[in-house]
Amino acid sequence: MKNEAIKELLYKMADDQLVLGHRNSEWNGLGPILEEDIAFSSMAQDKIGQSLEFYSILNEMGEKDPDTIAFTRKADKFKCCQYVEHPIGEYDFSLVRHFFFDYADYHRFELLKNSKVERIAMAAKKFQSESKYHIMHANAWMKQLGNSDVSIERMQNCLNEGIALALGIFEPSPMENVLIEEGVFEGEKKLSERWLSSIQSILSKTELSMPDISTAPINGGRQGKHTPHLQPLLDEMSEVFSIDPEAEW
Amino acid sequence: MESLDPRVGRLGIPENWGTLEPKSNLDQLETFEVFSIMKENKPFTHVGIVHAPDEEMALVFAKEQYGRRDSTLAMCIANSSNVLVSPFTDNNQNLYDFLEPSKALEDSVSEYQVFHLYKRGKQHQHVGEAEGKGYEDALNRAKEQYDGSKPVLNIWLIKSEHLLSTDEEDAQIWATTPEKKFREATDYRAADKIKRFKQEKA
Amino acid sequence: MYGGGNSFEDVYDKELKHEDPEQLAEFEARIERGEKIESTDWMPELYRTQLIRMIEQHAHSEIIGSLPEGTWITRAPGFKRKLALMAKVQDEVGHAQLLYAAAETLGKSREDMITDLINGKSKYSNIFNYPAFTWADSCFISWLVDAGAIVNQIANSKGSYAPYCRALERICAEEAFHLKYGHHCVIHLATGSPVQRQMMQEAVNRWWKPMVHFFGPPDKDSVHTRILMKWKVKMASNDECRNQFFDMYVPKIWELGLEIPDPNLKKDPETGIWNYSDPDWSEFKRVINGDGPCNKERLAVRRIAEERGLWVRQALKSPKATYTTPLA
Ligand SMILES: [Fe+2]
Ligand SMILES: [Fe+2]
Repeated sequence: MKNEAIKELLYKMADDQLVLGHRNSEWNGLGPILEEDIAFSSMAQDKIGQSLEFYSILNEMGEKDPDTIAFTRKADKFKCCQYVEHPIGEYDFSLVRHFFFDYADYHRFELLKNSKVERIAMAAKKFQSESKYHIMHANAWMKQLGNSDVSIERMQNCLNEGIALALGIFEPSPMENVLIEEGVFEGEKKLSERWLSSIQSILSKTELSMPDISTAPINGGRQGKHTPHLQPLLDEMSEVFSIDPEAEW
Repeated sequence: MESLDPRVGRLGIPENWGTLEPKSNLDQLETFEVFSIMKENKPFTHVGIVHAPDEEMALVFAKEQYGRRDSTLAMCIANSSNVLVSPFTDNNQNLYDFLEPSKALEDSVSEYQVFHLYKRGKQHQHVGEAEGKGYEDALNRAKEQYDGSKPVLNIWLIKSEHLLSTDEEDAQIWATTPEKKFREATDYRAADKIKRFKQEKA
Repeated sequence: MYGGGNSFEDVYDKELKHEDPEQLAEFEARIERGEKIESTDWMPELYRTQLIRMIEQHAHSEIIGSLPEGTWITRAPGFKRKLALMAKVQDEVGHAQLLYAAAETLGKSREDMITDLINGKSKYSNIFNYPAFTWADSCFISWLVDAGAIVNQIANSKGSYAPYCRALERICAEEAFHLKYGHHCVIHLATGSPVQRQMMQEAVNRWWKPMVHFFGPPDKDSVHTRILMKWKVKMASNDECRNQFFDMYVPKIWELGLEIPDPNLKKDPETGIWNYSDPDWSEFKRVINGDGPCNKERLAVRRIAEERGLWVRQALKSPKATYTTPLA
């Protein structure tokens, strides 16, 4: 039971990072400013690296190897939240998603640093240093674009439209109680509270207003229910790999 | 526009585009000089520039453009317009030998950070602080403190208040950089594979 | 990434007539002594314009050069390749940033350069106007196009203009990763399954001709660059670079059992010079003048990236901000 719960936690974290890292890599070479192109790419690489680490832990727990897990599963086997699947849109959408999601990451790693599962605690500690840069980056951008007449409206729209999806990050998983009882992870509710206070504090430094958090979250991702965007993303990602999944590429 | 790149396909580029309106210079952002410390006990060394809207963003950009490989211990940036640049000398001539006593003194004393260039084509390095009543005065104070055995070809002075530096706590953003082996040539050895291939063929 | 054979204008001594002879002599003596020129030094107008042109072309080649490989960025097979290709494409964008900055020290803003690129007023390396049909094409580029670029860049890093040399020093250090990564990919395909091997061979077949073009037309047909050589702007001739590339990489391609689609490719053991078939220089001219398979797409992509990013830059721009030329 405990092992299954841990695996579920690892899968959802790994799938989130993989899918969002993949999405964000689509900006590589097409970003709005050269310097930002580089910064955004690094953060996408961090995410892919983090997913690899989580899949590796799963592999140590008896699951298949990371490449097979990532490149051969169908969409309904993925446990990522729906937010990460959405296409990159314009830069405002991608930045707001980065702001919402990476704050969740930051606090998730903060909580997992105290996990009783040593291997997870170690990974979380490591990734929090990466995450620290991600929120530094997000803060700087929210402050810039949230205080300029050119962009306030665009950013506000993305916040308003993104909030239901962002709340879906915290969709509780079926076995969460086990994780809480066993001291593996303190749970999505606690995480979302911390997240909310960060989001509020950053937005208060801008002309943007807090989106309506009583909005019903868009859930389903954690149970394998996804938008029509995910399967094509996975098909694209595995186009070469699936030519010969046994081959060394 | 159809493309082999699925990302480009999604950009929705019209098949026939007219010519672009000449772009005005309005969107040319400001310039910031970037310095970093790569090893314990080494000084801040100039690594390049970034364009950014302000200091905070400049540091965010500099971190990845100049610190995504190797270990970085600290970074600082200054708006290029706040850097006071001395004239250049030829190699082997010491700029400090040509300094004239400063005439125009400002009323108040400011603290400047002093950067030396020892060879054309190399990077400016931080050597320390100098206080002075204005630029010329600070240069003369710098001469008293930092004119050493090596000829200095060029000097940059930056008021301390114009430098933004990462702090101790920020340094953890570089904690995992050395682990990112996929960015290093050493992670891609395959001599064995070639050897085996040749043996099988022979 | 960067191709040689960047187009220089005809350059003649008579264009120096208006320069102050004393300053010119001092400038040339400094280069002769092996010292570098820094951005605030006196320099002849011709040196400045030719350098801007060359460094700008180099920078454009990096940013446009990220597109053919970028074609495969969302499809790299497996974690190791996915991470590496992301990092490599990122590096190429980083190279563009460094090189634009080096050119900016000479007095042309980055925005002006990018505008010229998008408006088709500026050239970039020809090879990036060819499409990357398969994953193997991206592997060919990572290994061999980068290898060609490295030959050029190492030569240029010994040139006379300090800011360009500093940028190249950083760039060359990163290219070592590109080269090893690309080679690693090609080795895996060439020694892999029959499907993989065939994929790789087809990529070699497609890319060989543009690869020979990459270094530019033979010296005998090239424009007059004597002064630029003397000023250490152009550091090695097209033929020298091409020959060095053949020397270093043809044996490495052959040892993987790959065929190079040129029956005449052979090294003359006495002169050390490689013979090769005429790679159709008229095609090179056609493509560099805009009529290649991907010229239109490459510029359109750059342009839409600029247009989509316009509001972002406008939002960042403060009315108080003033542009300063980078210092070094
Ligand atoms: Fe490269
Ligand atoms: Fe490059």
